[in-house]
Amino acid sequence: MITERLSSDYVEMRFGPRWTYISCVRKFVASFFMIGLSDKERAEQISMAASELLENAVKYASEEEGYLKISIAKAENEVDVCVKNKAEPHHINTLRRELALIQTGQPEQVYLKKMEEAAMTEGQSRLGLIRILYEAGARLRLDVHDDEVSIHAIFKLEGA
Amino acid sequence: MSAERGFVPLTVESLSIVPRLDGDTLRIAMSGAVEMRDPGDALNPYWTLIDEEARRRNVKVVELDVQDLNFMNSSGILTLVRWITRCKSTPDCYRLVLRYDRNVTWQRASIPTLAKLAPNVVVPMEIDA
Repeated sequence: MITERLSSDYVEMRFGPRWTYISCVRKFVASFFMIGLSDKERAEQISMAASELLENAVKYASEEEGYLKISIAKAENEVDVCVKNKAEPHHINTLRRELALIQTGQPEQVYLKKMEEAAMTEGQSRLGLIRILYEAGARLRLDVHDDEVSIHAIFKLEGA
Repeated sequence: MSAERGFVPLTVESLSIVPRLDGDTLRIAMSGAVEMRDPGDALNPYWTLIDEEARRRNVKVVELDVQDLNFMNSSGILTLVRWITRCKSTPDCYRLVLRYDRNVTWQRASIPTLAKLAPNVVVPMEIDA
């Protein structure tokens, strides 16, 4: 577990699922990792991933649950962005299916196919996870414990 | 160059869009950020209006300049996907040029990918601002 080897480049926030906080967190994460990594591109990819994961969490978190948590930990070779929240079982199942789908196939082709499908349907874009995978080059992992969902976007660092 | 009645600006939260007709080219400048929960509520009808008006006026090129747009969430990207899909599926569409700054990470990642949806219609134009 990356969190067992905490470095100074670790940040954790817990807050109510308010949409307007997401932009604030994105900007903070970008600034924080711009300093921590000295790599503007990586910092912006990490902050984009944080933003997309938080958007999903706010949209799909259980209504009775009062908060969501984001933690970002840098270990020697990677950065792990983790967003945790409680969710309804059908949303968890949708997330499992979504993750399985986007992790099979060539990411660019999957991204383009999902864009085309999304353009033909009403409702949410569901492009956030594949965007993280393809545009930011992160790998994604889902942990579920009862009704608590943790989704990780894991970034390899340069030279690792 | 002139401001045209059919091409109206749009401001939504931190996003600003200013269209300007320049001969047979429509230049649209976006600035701020697309980070609202449902950007499609405002942007889908706006892009439709732009599309219809551009066709009515026989505009040859629509240049969408996103270099001053510091972020666009995936729901915002979907609004552009819908616009591109409509262009791709209708005959005699104008050329859609997406002008972006290579120094802005999200732009460098997202815009060339969007262009791959319709390579005959969409042209990514990279600049080094």
